[in-house]
Amino acid sequence: MTAALYHQLLDLTAGALLLTAVLVVWRRDLAMIIRIFAVQGVALAALVGVLAAHEGSVELAVVALGVLVLRAGVLPALLRRALAAAGDDRRETRPLVNVAASLLAAAALTLLALAVSAPIVELAPSPTTRAAPIGVAVVLIGFFVLVTRRRALSQLVGFLLMDNGITAVGFLVTSGIGLVVEVGVALDVLLVVLVLGILTGRMREVFGGTDLDELRELHD
Amino acid sequence: MSVVGAALAATGASCAGGVLAALAVPRARRALVVGMLTCVAGACATVAGAAAMLGHTWAAELPGLLPLSGVVLGVDALGGVFVAVGGAVAVAVALYGIGYSRHGLDGRAVQAMVPVFVGSLLLVPIAADVTTLLVAWELMALTSLLLVVAEHRRRAAVASAGRWYAVMTHLGFVAILIGLLVLAAPAADGSFAAVRAAAGALPPVAAGAVFVLCLVGFGSKAGIVPLHAWLPRAHPEAPSPVSALMSAAMVNLGVYGIVRVGLDLMGGGTRWWWLLVMALGAVSAVYGILQAVVSSDLKRLLAYSTTENMGLVLVGVGACGLFAATGNPVLAALALTAALLHLLGHAAFKTLLFLGAGSVLHATGTRDLDELGGLRAGMPVTTAAFGLGALAASTLPPGTAFVGEWLLLQSLVHGLPAPGVATSIVLPVAVAAVALTAGLAVATFVKAFGVGFLARPRSDAAAAARESPPTMLAGMALAGVACVVLAVAPTVVLPVLATVAGDLLAVAPPVSGAVTVELAGVTGALSPLLLATALALAAALVVVLPRLLVARRARRAARLWDCGAGPLSARMEYTATSFAEPLQRVFDDVLQPVQDIDVTHHRESAYLVQSVAYRRLVPDRVERRLYTPVLAAAAAWGRVGRRLGTGSVHRYLGYGFVGLCGLLVLLVLTR
Repeated sequence: MTAALYHQLLDLTAGALLLTAVLVVWRRDLAMIIRIFAVQGVALAALVGVLAAHEGSVELAVVALGVLVLRAGVLPALLRRALAAAGDDRRETRPLVNVAASLLAAAALTLLALAVSAPIVELAPSPTTRAAPIGVAVVLIGFFVLVTRRRALSQLVGFLLMDNGITAVGFLVTSGIGLVVEVGVALDVLLVVLVLGILTGRMREVFGGTDLDELRELHD
Repeated sequence: MSVVGAALAATGASCAGGVLAALAVPRARRALVVGMLTCVAGACATVAGAAAMLGHTWAAELPGLLPLSGVVLGVDALGGVFVAVGGAVAVAVALYGIGYSRHGLDGRAVQAMVPVFVGSLLLVPIAADVTTLLVAWELMALTSLLLVVAEHRRRAAVASAGRWYAVMTHLGFVAILIGLLVLAAPAADGSFAAVRAAAGALPPVAAGAVFVLCLVGFGSKAGIVPLHAWLPRAHPEAPSPVSALMSAAMVNLGVYGIVRVGLDLMGGGTRWWWLLVMALGAVSAVYGILQAVVSSDLKRLLAYSTTENMGLVLVGVGACGLFAATGNPVLAALALTAALLHLLGHAAFKTLLFLGAGSVLHATGTRDLDELGGLRAGMPVTTAAFGLGALAASTLPPGTAFVGEWLLLQSLVHGLPAPGVATSIVLPVAVAAVALTAGLAVATFVKAFGVGFLARPRSDAAAAARESPPTMLAGMALAGVACVVLAVAPTVVLPVLATVAGDLLAVAPPVSGAVTVELAGVTGALSPLLLATALALAAALVVVLPRLLVARRARRAARLWDCGAGPLSARMEYTATSFAEPLQRVFDDVLQPVQDIDVTHHRESAYLVQSVAYRRLVPDRVERRLYTPVLAAAAAWGRVGRRLGTGSVHRYLGYGFVGLCGLLVLLVLTR
């Protein structure tokens, strides 16, 4: 792989990562959000795959495959199952911040991420570290989704966006944090999604909905 | 390995053995085994401390025991004093605890905590770096807290006392932590040698702040006014052996910290530090004994007396620092010797008094002096022990506290021609405070002993009191022997203490003499042994001579004059409240007692009184003025905080998000 091709592929996959995050903020249909999330998983796996091809590392290639299976296959499937259980209420109808303002906020968060990661880039300027701010931006956008969405499922997607962002930053800055660590993190995320899926189901059974704002009677 | 090292290793092994025994041995023999092992630990520590005081030093590093810095241990003469005192107190208390624990304190957890507490309070003075000191200090605080709340199922007041103690001790710990970290910042590492070498590099303001923080932290442990609020709560509510350990051994470590940081690590410092220490010490001494004299709870009285005695010790420490800062090291060494001797004496008599009070509580179930009295018949040994302790504490010859206070007064009086306006005001005031304290201490302990133990019993419980088991009496006897030795022959330890103080200030020992205490540098001499002998002879003369002279006349037995009001009853006696009433009147403005008199008249005539109910409460005034507003402010702040928690999950997430973004923005802007 030539340096220019590597550079372009890196930019492409990182750009796809950010674009999918913004699309999650934009769309309201939960099924579409899950589909976008799966695309982001593919983008993340491609990013790792490009790194693996550049470094010629078999271990990294295995990790890329694992990322693809987990984030583009297993997690979206789990989310889809939770959505199917939810019945016909399949839209994020009233987010706390409306869509236009959300998109502006996503732009502002991306700028903040670029500004904050400047010292990290300066430490060792290279194509990979220059892509790292994208990961930070995805983390912040994920957090934003987590905060502003009412439905438990879209909050879960926000949480997974954050995790995707953290993983991307990890790979871009350290070029792989070891197979064992990666497997551990992946299992953690899987477990979180499983537990939250069950929790969402229980909430629906007990309260008849998963709007978290209806839970404010729970304080002391 | 030196004597000190071997003895300390034996101490550690015995403490560990005590913990294991507490967990493994069945209940019937648990207290005995743990008590004996703790006793051995205390004895070994006493040997180690005594050897260290005589000039054997020892140091060790255990790098793997704590992350980052490891554990650094080292014993010098100053630390040796506190190790010896702590060990000796532990011996008496552990022996006593064997019998006392049958009273429902032989659970696994409580028994396991005692050796840990003893070990941790011996570890504090042998810690030789900042981390080790802090860890040992925190371990001591936690174990003592667990022991204080040992009886929380029986009395609700225990839990409240535990909360007070926990909060105060941890605030103190935070102060010490900040102070020591700032102090150690310019040093190469945290060891005391490096800190000592680098302490000069601190700017004066930072050095002053470090000293004040350490004074606050260590002073709160020593029970110094206004940080004493936990002491009159925790000491009475703790089981009595624990009260004795805390009051006789643990509070001393507050003084150790101040001496170690102020005089040793920071090398003296400036005059205002020590004027502050003296002022706090004098206020504590007077305020503590004033509260003690009006208290009718026996253990609360003893706890306030601890505040008083620690105040006196701090007056000595402050005088030492002051004289050292004004260029009079000989007098400074004398003041420090006085402080150390008083500390030793206090440890001895306060152990005895708390153990005696525990014995009374064990037998009667009450600490209220108004409901005691007449214990002499049922508990002769405890009465004799408490009497000895009361004499020792009352600063009269031939008492234990007398020699220390005499030395202290000598150093203060001879320091009077010191330069500076503030100094020339503080020193005479300190002399007056020490003298006033001595007088009030006599009244306090006359009350505690006379009202509590003599005359007739004022309650059924007091009348039915029986003597404690022999192990408890043996513990009291050990402490009593220490009191007598320190009272009659303080010269056994005085030259050693003088050498310790002299070495710290780089002068010759200020006190010498085998029978007579001779002062170096100033004129003054005292022979406690001759004084005690003369007093004993005079007393014997007063008792024997009239009998010899009067014996020839015929004696006849008659009823005691009772004003014709029928046989004398317990209701005619002085109670603790009535005994303290004149003093309470004298110090009315300071104490501000709350009194409530309720007179019920006969229904037939308003001139005939049916009953009079009298209630008196002496609330701690410092506490009311200082702590109540702070607590109210904290509660108000808490209520504001509750408004943040509305129950909305989004809002909680939002706090995190906004906090994170704010932090990132701040990072970008300040870079």
